[in-house]
Amino acid sequence: MPSFMIMASIPSEDPQLVAQLRDPATVRQAFSEVIRRYSEPLYWQIRRMVQSHDDANDLLQNTFLKAWQSIENFRGDARLSTWLYKIAINESITFLAQERRRQNISLDDQGAALAATIEADTNIDGDRLAVNLRKAIASLPEKQRLVFNMKYFDDMKYEDISQILGTSVGALKASYHLAVKKIEQIISSDN
Amino acid sequence: MDKNTDILNRLNHKDGMTVPEGFFDDFAQRMEAALPERPELSTPSPYIPRTTWQRIRPYVYMAAMFAGVWCMLKMFSIMGGGDRQPLESNPVMAEAFENEKFVNDYIFSDVNQWDIYDQLMEEGIDAQALCDSLAAFDSLQ
Repeated sequence: MPSFMIMASIPSEDPQLVAQLRDPATVRQAFSEVIRRYSEPLYWQIRRMVQSHDDANDLLQNTFLKAWQSIENFRGDARLSTWLYKIAINESITFLAQERRRQNISLDDQGAALAATIEADTNIDGDRLAVNLRKAIASLPEKQRLVFNMKYFDDMKYEDISQILGTSVGALKASYHLAVKKIEQIISSDN
Repeated sequence: MDKNTDILNRLNHKDGMTVPEGFFDDFAQRMEAALPERPELSTPSPYIPRTTWQRIRPYVYMAAMFAGVWCMLKMFSIMGGGDRQPLESNPVMAEAFENEKFVNDYIFSDVNQWDIYDQLMEEGIDAQALCDSLAAFDSLQ
Protein backbone atom coordinates (compact mmCIF):
# COMPACT_ATOMS: atom_id res chain seq x y z
CA MET A 1 0.00 0.00 0.00
CA PRO A 2 1.62 3.28 -1.02
CA SER A 3 1.96 5.69 1.78
CA PHE A 4 3.54 8.99 2.66
CA MET A 5 4.06 10.95 5.80
CA ILE A 6 2.43 14.29 6.44
CA MET A 7 2.93 16.66 9.33
CA ALA A 8 0.26 19.31 8.98
CA SER A 9 0.28 22.58 10.85
CA ILE A 10 -2.85 24.23 12.20
CA PRO A 11 -4.37 26.61 9.65
CA SER A 12 -4.45 30.23 10.69
CA GLU A 13 -7.81 31.66 11.67
CA ASP A 14 -9.81 33.02 8.75
CA PRO A 15 -12.44 35.61 9.76
CA GLN A 16 -14.10 35.41 6.36
CA LEU A 17 -14.55 31.66 6.70
CA VAL A 18 -15.98 32.11 10.18
CA ALA A 19 -18.42 34.72 8.84
CA GLN A 20 -19.49 32.33 6.09
CA LEU A 21 -20.08 29.60 8.66
CA ARG A 22 -22.53 31.89 10.44
CA ASP A 23 -24.41 32.76 7.26
CA PRO A 24 -27.12 30.18 6.38
CA ALA A 25 -26.60 30.90 2.69
CA THR A 26 -22.92 29.92 2.74
CA VAL A 27 -22.61 27.57 5.71
CA ARG A 28 -22.43 24.32 3.77
CA GLN A 29 -19.85 25.56 1.31
CA ALA A 30 -17.83 27.06 4.16
CA PHE A 31 -17.97 23.81 6.11
CA SER A 32 -16.57 21.94 3.10
CA GLU A 33 -13.66 24.35 3.23
CA VAL A 34 -13.29 23.65 6.96
CA ILE A 35 -13.04 19.93 6.18
CA ARG A 36 -10.35 20.56 3.58
CA ARG A 37 -8.33 22.81 5.87
CA TYR A 38 -8.64 20.99 9.17
CA SER A 39 -8.83 17.30 8.29
CA GLU A 40 -5.05 16.86 8.34
CA PRO A 41 -4.18 18.50 11.68
CA LEU A 42 -7.22 16.93 13.35
CA TYR A 43 -6.41 13.52 11.89
CA TRP A 44 -2.90 13.57 13.30
CA GLN A 45 -4.15 14.70 16.67
CA ILE A 46 -6.62 11.82 16.78
CA ARG A 47 -4.21 9.29 15.28
CA ARG A 48 -1.55 10.05 17.89
CA MET A 49 -4.11 9.31 20.58
CA VAL A 50 -5.65 6.12 19.18
CA GLN A 51 -2.67 4.98 17.03
CA SER A 52 -4.76 3.01 14.52
CA HIS A 53 -5.34 4.63 11.12
CA ASP A 54 -8.78 3.04 10.72
CA ASP A 55 -9.93 4.23 14.14
CA ALA A 56 -8.54 7.70 13.46
CA ASN A 57 -10.41 7.78 10.14
CA ASP A 58 -13.71 6.89 11.85
CA LEU A 59 -13.16 9.36 14.66
CA LEU A 60 -12.27 12.15 12.23
CA GLN A 61 -15.57 11.54 10.42
CA ASN A 62 -17.43 11.63 13.74
CA THR A 63 -15.65 14.86 14.63
CA PHE A 64 -16.78 16.63 11.48
CA LEU A 65 -20.28 15.18 11.72
CA LYS A 66 -20.64 16.47 15.29
CA ALA A 67 -19.23 19.84 14.29
CA TRP A 68 -21.72 20.00 11.41
CA GLN A 69 -24.63 18.99 13.64
CA SER A 70 -23.79 21.73 16.12
CA ILE A 71 -22.48 24.36 13.73
CA GLU A 72 -25.11 26.84 14.91
CA ASN A 73 -23.54 26.61 18.39
CA PHE A 74 -20.28 27.94 17.00
CA ARG A 75 -20.74 31.66 17.42
CA GLY A 76 -17.21 32.73 16.70
CA ASP A 77 -16.46 33.54 20.35
CA ALA A 78 -13.76 30.87 20.40
CA ARG A 79 -11.34 30.21 17.58
CA LEU A 80 -12.55 27.73 14.99
CA SER A 81 -9.47 25.54 15.49
CA THR A 82 -10.01 25.50 19.27
CA TRP A 83 -13.63 24.43 18.81
CA LEU A 84 -12.72 21.66 16.35
CA TYR A 85 -9.80 20.43 18.46
CA LYS A 86 -12.07 20.17 21.49
CA ILE A 87 -14.52 18.02 19.58
CA ALA A 88 -11.73 15.83 18.17
CA ILE A 89 -10.12 15.34 21.57
CA ASN A 90 -13.46 14.51 23.18
CA GLU A 91 -14.08 11.95 20.47
CA SER A 92 -10.63 10.41 21.02
CA ILE A 93 -10.94 10.24 24.80
CA THR A 94 -14.46 8.80 24.58
CA PHE A 95 -13.24 6.17 22.12
CA LEU A 96 -10.34 5.18 24.38
CA ALA A 97 -12.72 4.88 27.35
CA GLN A 98 -15.06 2.68 25.29
CA GLU A 99 -12.10 0.52 24.26
CA ARG A 100 -11.08 0.11 27.90
CA ARG A 101 -14.58 -1.05 28.77
CA ARG A 102 -14.78 -3.32 25.73
CA GLN A 103 -11.42 -4.96 26.46
CA ASN A 104 -12.00 -4.81 30.22
CA ILE A 105 -8.66 -3.17 30.90
CA SER A 106 -7.60 -0.36 33.20
CA LEU A 107 -6.27 3.06 32.23
CA ASP A 108 -2.74 1.90 33.13
CA ASP A 109 -3.01 -1.20 30.96
CA GLN A 110 -4.21 0.73 27.94
CA GLY A 111 -0.62 1.86 27.23
CA ALA A 112 0.32 -1.77 26.59
CA ALA A 113 -2.71 -2.26 24.35
CA LEU A 114 -1.78 0.85 22.35
CA ALA A 115 1.82 -0.39 22.11
CA ALA A 116 0.50 -3.61 20.55
CA THR A 117 -1.49 -1.51 18.05
CA ILE A 118 1.68 0.44 17.20
CA GLU A 119 3.63 -2.77 16.60
CA ALA A 120 0.90 -4.04 14.30
CA ASP A 121 0.53 -0.73 12.43
CA THR A 122 1.33 -0.99 8.72
CA ASN A 123 1.04 2.73 8.04
CA ILE A 124 4.54 3.59 9.21
CA ASP A 125 7.59 5.06 7.61
CA GLY A 126 10.21 5.35 10.27
CA ASP A 127 12.99 3.57 12.06
CA ARG A 128 12.90 1.75 15.37
CA LEU A 129 13.50 5.00 17.23
CA ALA A 130 10.28 6.48 15.85
CA VAL A 131 8.33 3.37 16.87
CA ASN A 132 9.83 3.57 20.35
CA LEU A 133 8.82 7.21 20.55
CA ARG A 134 5.22 6.32 19.72
CA LYS A 135 5.20 3.57 22.32
CA ALA A 136 6.72 5.90 24.91
CA ILE A 137 4.07 8.52 24.18
CA ALA A 138 1.36 5.86 24.38
CA SER A 139 2.51 4.96 27.88
CA LEU A 140 1.89 8.50 29.16
CA PRO A 141 -1.31 9.47 30.99
CA GLU A 142 -3.98 10.78 28.60
CA LYS A 143 -3.64 14.45 29.55
CA GLN A 144 0.16 14.37 29.32
CA ARG A 145 -0.09 12.63 25.98
CA LEU A 146 -2.39 15.32 24.64
CA VAL A 147 -0.14 18.11 25.88
CA PHE A 148 2.99 16.46 24.49
CA ASN A 149 1.41 15.81 21.09
CA MET A 150 0.11 19.34 20.71
CA LYS A 151 3.38 20.92 21.82
CA TYR A 152 5.98 18.64 20.26
CA PHE A 153 4.29 17.71 16.97
CA ASP A 154 1.98 20.65 16.31
CA ASP A 155 4.19 23.26 18.00
CA MET A 156 1.10 24.87 19.48
CA LYS A 157 1.37 27.75 21.92
CA TYR A 158 0.66 26.95 25.54
CA GLU A 159 -2.07 29.61 25.51
CA ASP A 160 -3.87 27.80 22.67
CA ILE A 161 -3.49 24.40 24.37
CA SER A 162 -4.81 26.00 27.53
CA GLN A 163 -8.00 27.06 25.74
CA ILE A 164 -8.52 23.61 24.25
CA LEU A 165 -7.86 21.58 27.40
CA GLY A 166 -9.11 24.12 29.93
CA THR A 167 -5.88 23.90 31.95
CA SER A 168 -3.61 26.69 33.14
CA VAL A 169 -0.46 27.49 31.17
CA GLY A 170 1.69 26.72 34.21
CA ALA A 171 0.19 23.27 34.60
CA LEU A 172 0.67 22.59 30.89
CA LYS A 173 4.35 23.57 31.04
CA ALA A 174 4.87 21.27 34.01
CA SER A 175 2.97 18.49 32.26
CA TYR A 176 5.05 18.84 29.09
CA HIS A 177 8.28 18.90 31.07
CA LEU A 178 7.28 15.69 32.89
CA ALA A 179 6.25 14.04 29.61
CA VAL A 180 9.61 14.83 28.01
CA LYS A 181 11.48 13.40 31.00
CA LYS A 182 9.41 10.21 30.96
CA ILE A 183 9.81 9.74 27.21
CA GLU A 184 13.55 10.30 27.52
CA GLN A 185 13.79 7.66 30.24
CA ILE A 186 11.68 5.14 28.34
CA ILE A 187 13.52 5.54 25.04
CA SER A 188 16.92 5.50 26.77
CA SER A 189 16.07 2.26 28.58
CA ASP A 190 14.80 0.68 25.33
CA ASN A 191 18.01 1.56 23.52
CA MET B 1 12.26 26.84 27.28
CA ASP B 2 13.22 23.90 25.12
CA LYS B 3 13.03 20.72 27.14
CA ASN B 4 13.50 18.45 24.17
CA THR B 5 16.22 15.95 24.61
CA ASP B 6 18.80 14.89 22.02
CA ILE B 7 16.58 11.93 21.19
CA LEU B 8 13.56 14.13 20.57
CA ASN B 9 15.67 16.54 18.55
CA ARG B 10 17.01 13.65 16.49
CA LEU B 11 13.47 12.54 15.72
CA ASN B 12 12.77 16.05 14.43
CA HIS B 13 9.08 16.03 15.38
CA LYS B 14 8.36 12.95 13.31
CA ASP B 15 6.94 9.72 14.65
CA GLY B 16 6.90 7.68 11.45
CA MET B 17 3.12 7.50 11.11
CA THR B 18 1.79 7.63 7.58
CA VAL B 19 -1.53 7.60 5.76
CA PRO B 20 -2.48 5.92 2.49
CA GLU B 21 -1.68 8.10 -0.51
CA GLY B 22 -4.43 10.54 -1.36
CA PHE B 23 -6.17 9.85 1.92
CA PHE B 24 -6.94 13.46 2.79
CA ASP B 25 -8.27 14.34 -0.67
CA ASP B 26 -10.50 11.27 -0.61
CA PHE B 27 -11.54 11.98 2.94
CA ALA B 28 -12.63 15.53 2.13
CA GLN B 29 -14.76 14.31 -0.78
CA ARG B 30 -16.27 11.46 1.24
CA MET B 31 -16.96 13.72 4.19
CA GLU B 32 -18.62 16.42 2.13
CA ALA B 33 -20.85 13.80 0.53
CA ALA B 34 -21.67 12.28 3.91
CA LEU B 35 -22.79 15.55 5.49
CA PRO B 36 -26.53 15.32 6.10
CA GLU B 37 -28.78 18.05 4.82
CA ARG B 38 -29.68 20.68 7.39
CA PRO B 39 -32.65 22.51 5.90
CA GLU B 40 -33.10 24.48 9.09
CA LEU B 41 -29.68 26.05 8.44
CA SER B 42 -30.29 27.01 4.82
CA THR B 43 -33.81 28.36 5.41
CA PRO B 44 -33.52 31.79 6.90
CA SER B 45 -36.05 32.51 9.61
CA PRO B 46 -38.99 34.58 8.29
CA TYR B 47 -38.75 38.31 8.94
CA ILE B 48 -41.36 39.43 11.43
CA PRO B 49 -41.64 43.23 11.63
CA ARG B 50 -41.55 44.59 15.15
CA THR B 51 -44.48 46.61 16.40
CA THR B 52 -44.08 50.11 17.75
CA TRP B 53 -44.72 48.82 21.26
CA GLN B 54 -41.99 46.18 20.88
CA ARG B 55 -39.58 48.88 19.75
CA ILE B 56 -40.28 51.35 22.55
CA ARG B 57 -40.90 48.76 25.27
CA PRO B 58 -37.33 48.75 26.63
CA TYR B 59 -37.35 52.54 26.91
CA VAL B 60 -40.75 52.53 28.62
CA TYR B 61 -39.52 49.95 31.11
CA MET B 62 -36.42 51.99 31.76
CA ALA B 63 -38.43 55.18 32.29
CA ALA B 64 -40.77 53.32 34.67
CA MET B 65 -37.79 52.06 36.61
CA PHE B 66 -36.36 55.57 37.01
CA ALA B 67 -39.79 56.89 38.03
CA GLY B 68 -40.02 54.14 40.64
CA VAL B 69 -36.61 55.00 42.02
CA TRP B 70 -37.56 58.70 42.15
CA CYS B 71 -40.78 57.89 44.02
CA MET B 72 -38.89 55.77 46.52
CA LEU B 73 -36.36 58.52 47.14
CA LYS B 74 -39.16 61.05 47.53
CA MET B 75 -40.95 58.80 50.01
CA PHE B 76 -37.79 58.29 52.06
CA SER B 77 -37.22 62.03 52.00
CA ILE B 78 -40.73 62.72 53.34
CA MET B 79 -40.41 60.04 56.00
CA GLY B 80 -37.04 61.43 57.05
CA GLY B 81 -38.42 64.98 57.45
CA GLY B 82 -36.28 66.43 54.73
CA ASP B 83 -39.30 68.12 53.18
CA ARG B 84 -39.98 70.43 56.12
CA GLN B 85 -40.08 74.13 55.37
CA PRO B 86 -39.58 77.08 57.76
CA LEU B 87 -42.77 78.42 59.32
CA GLU B 88 -42.06 81.90 57.96
CA SER B 89 -42.62 80.66 54.42
CA ASN B 90 -46.18 79.63 55.32
CA PRO B 91 -48.31 82.85 55.27
CA VAL B 92 -51.03 81.41 57.55
CA MET B 93 -48.54 80.36 60.22
CA ALA B 94 -46.59 83.62 59.88
CA GLU B 95 -49.74 85.62 60.51
CA ALA B 96 -50.65 83.40 63.47
CA PHE B 97 -47.25 83.93 65.10
CA GLU B 98 -47.67 87.68 64.85
CA ASN B 99 -50.83 87.37 66.98
CA GLU B 100 -49.66 87.59 70.61
CA LYS B 101 -52.87 86.03 71.94
CA PHE B 102 -52.46 83.01 69.70
CA VAL B 103 -48.89 82.55 70.84
CA ASN B 104 -49.81 82.85 74.51
CA ASP B 105 -52.83 80.57 74.23
CA TYR B 106 -51.51 77.89 71.97
CA ILE B 107 -47.72 78.00 72.03
CA PHE B 108 -46.82 78.92 75.62
CA SER B 109 -49.84 77.43 77.31
CA ASP B 110 -48.11 74.13 77.80
CA VAL B 111 -44.99 75.68 79.29
CA ASN B 112 -44.99 75.56 83.09
CA GLN B 113 -42.82 77.59 85.40
CA TRP B 114 -40.44 74.69 86.05
CA ASP B 115 -39.59 74.56 82.39
CA ILE B 116 -38.81 78.25 82.50
CA TYR B 117 -36.63 77.83 85.61
CA ASP B 118 -34.73 74.99 83.95
CA GLN B 119 -34.16 77.07 80.86
CA LEU B 120 -32.95 80.03 82.92
CA MET B 121 -30.59 77.81 84.93
CA GLU B 122 -29.12 76.38 81.74
CA GLU B 123 -28.52 79.87 80.41
CA GLY B 124 -26.83 80.96 83.70
CA ILE B 125 -29.53 83.48 84.72
CA ASP B 126 -30.35 83.76 88.40
CA ALA B 127 -34.08 83.02 88.51
CA GLN B 128 -34.56 84.49 92.00
CA ALA B 129 -32.95 87.78 91.02
CA LEU B 130 -35.11 87.86 87.90
CA CYS B 131 -38.29 87.25 89.97
CA ASP B 132 -37.29 89.99 92.39
CA SER B 133 -36.70 92.48 89.59
CA LEU B 134 -40.03 91.54 87.96
CA ALA B 135 -41.81 92.02 91.34
CA ALA B 136 -40.14 95.40 91.76
CA PHE B 137 -41.21 96.32 88.20
CA ASP B 138 -44.82 95.28 88.94
CA SER B 139 -44.86 97.30 92.17
CA LEU B 140 -43.73 100.39 90.29
CA GLN B 141 -46.68 100.02 87.96
